[in-house]
Amino acid sequence: MDLTLWLGQSLAALAHRPDGVLAVAETAPALVDPVAGGPFQVGDWEFVTANADYLLGGTVLTVLLTVTSLVLGFLLGFPAGAIEVYGDGVLRTLVRKFGVVLRGTPIIVIMIFTYYVLPIDIPINAIVAVLTAVDTALGPTPFTVPTSVPGPFMAATLALGFRSAAYQSQIFRGALESIDEGQLAAARSIGMSRLEGIRHVVVPQALRRSVPGFQNEFTIVLKDTSIAFAIGLAELLKRSHDLFLQQTTAVLEIILFMSLIYFVLTFVVNRTLDYGSNYFAIPGDSS
Amino acid sequence: MTNPRTDDGDGRTADDRRGDGDERTAPPSSATAATDPLLRIEDLHKSYGAEEVLRGVSLEIDRGDVEVLVGPSGSGKSTLLQCLNCLTEIDSGHIYLGDTEVTASDTDPNEIRQQIGMVFQDINLFAHLTARKNITLGLRKVRGMSAEAARERADAELDRVGLADQADSYPAQLSGGQKQRVGIARALAMDPEVMLFDEPTSALDPELSNEVLTVMDELVDEGMTMVVVTHEMRFARGAASGITFLADGQIVERGPPERLFENPSHERTAQFFENISHDHD
Repeated sequence: MDLTLWLGQSLAALAHRPDGVLAVAETAPALVDPVAGGPFQVGDWEFVTANADYLLGGTVLTVLLTVTSLVLGFLLGFPAGAIEVYGDGVLRTLVRKFGVVLRGTPIIVIMIFTYYVLPIDIPINAIVAVLTAVDTALGPTPFTVPTSVPGPFMAATLALGFRSAAYQSQIFRGALESIDEGQLAAARSIGMSRLEGIRHVVVPQALRRSVPGFQNEFTIVLKDTSIAFAIGLAELLKRSHDLFLQQTTAVLEIILFMSLIYFVLTFVVNRTLDYGSNYFAIPGDSS
Repeated sequence: MTNPRTDDGDGRTADDRRGDGDERTAPPSSATAATDPLLRIEDLHKSYGAEEVLRGVSLEIDRGDVEVLVGPSGSGKSTLLQCLNCLTEIDSGHIYLGDTEVTASDTDPNEIRQQIGMVFQDINLFAHLTARKNITLGLRKVRGMSAEAARERADAELDRVGLADQADSYPAQLSGGQKQRVGIARALAMDPEVMLFDEPTSALDPELSNEVLTVMDELVDEGMTMVVVTHEMRFARGAASGITFLADGQIVERGPPERLFENPSHERTAQFFENISHDHD
């Protein structure tokens, strides 16, 4: 089957759900009669391909959750790293302590906290309001702007996003600290404020140096989206689990197929970031 | 940045300690009579923690003067330059640039730094920008120049330091001497009143030092006011209008180069020049 067609169909299926995009379609998995026998039976692979759309739908959710978590992680983690390097006083102490706590807590514990303890309706309502406003502002479009966010997705984004922020802050802290102080002094010597110097001289170099750390973080977040299984989010692992509960002889086939999807995603993104890193590398710079 | 260190307990005499007193009045050779000094430093004190790096330094530099600061490592030369450029806060004293008090609380240090160019020992080019963009960055962001005007100005400055053909090279693609010349061009582009040089050649091979010193000699000929920390005695002899010898955060003596080299008033100064000439044999 054509991968882009799968993806297109899954996205289309997601986009036209009347009850909202992210409430992933609970289309019943297709049933294929298992053929009796050992592992790698033809019938089990047929079961996998027959349910490929169902798994791809979960993959779309996995990718979406990775993106929202990394974006939240970057938006919080980058300033946090900058505060750790350049800030002082109470703010810096708070950021550091918060990071230590987040990094010292298992991700599944954080996720269960955001799902069962946090008043999750508040951020959901805020985002739904924004999405609705965007939808209204755009008017009729060929695609549908999502106007609802399910609780598990929000809880998973917050958990993965905050945890990622705690790690990304360390990536950026290291990168910012690696830029020689003298360059900031030079920027100030030609009349730039400290902030301008940081923005125009230090940050562009620090971002380049944070790519390898960020690649690592991307891979970790993508794989850790599977933890959202624990709060019932229908991402790739949850859907795979649903399938092999239905046809227990196909466990191995489903796990192999799911692993292949995770691998392809991480591989493609890492290669893309490698390419981007080389493209933006400073000519003649060995670091 | 090297941590300023005070050499102490090496047999300074009371006479040495008295410092700048009478020597300050020695007239710089090219002093334009009856005009106020361009740069005036009064009783400057600066400590890093418990260590007092500058212990009451006073100095006046006229427009067009080239003042060379010499002294043993840790004597406070670099710190003095950083104070002049507001890159470090002073503890007490006053600095005036023309009629403006640099050290006044309502003076914007960013304004002052535009008028005082700085060339660093470790060069400090912006590593992610080409030679040209190292220069245009300040013109664009600080001066608010258009991209086109900034580019023209940058190319003119690169031409001035003999690097018109390296405009598109990145720092890592340039030799040490070329980098330092870009560093000078970057400072010159801001049209400074004074140029400060903090050991501009001490990180370079003698061969590469020469190309930098040639550029500096040209600036002297153009009448630029300069304060130069250096151990390049050839430059000091040829270009300086005055030499100030600092030790332990104080001015030991100051005078025209001929007198300081040939006939220093203080034993400490004589000893220093003796050591320097041995180093450079």
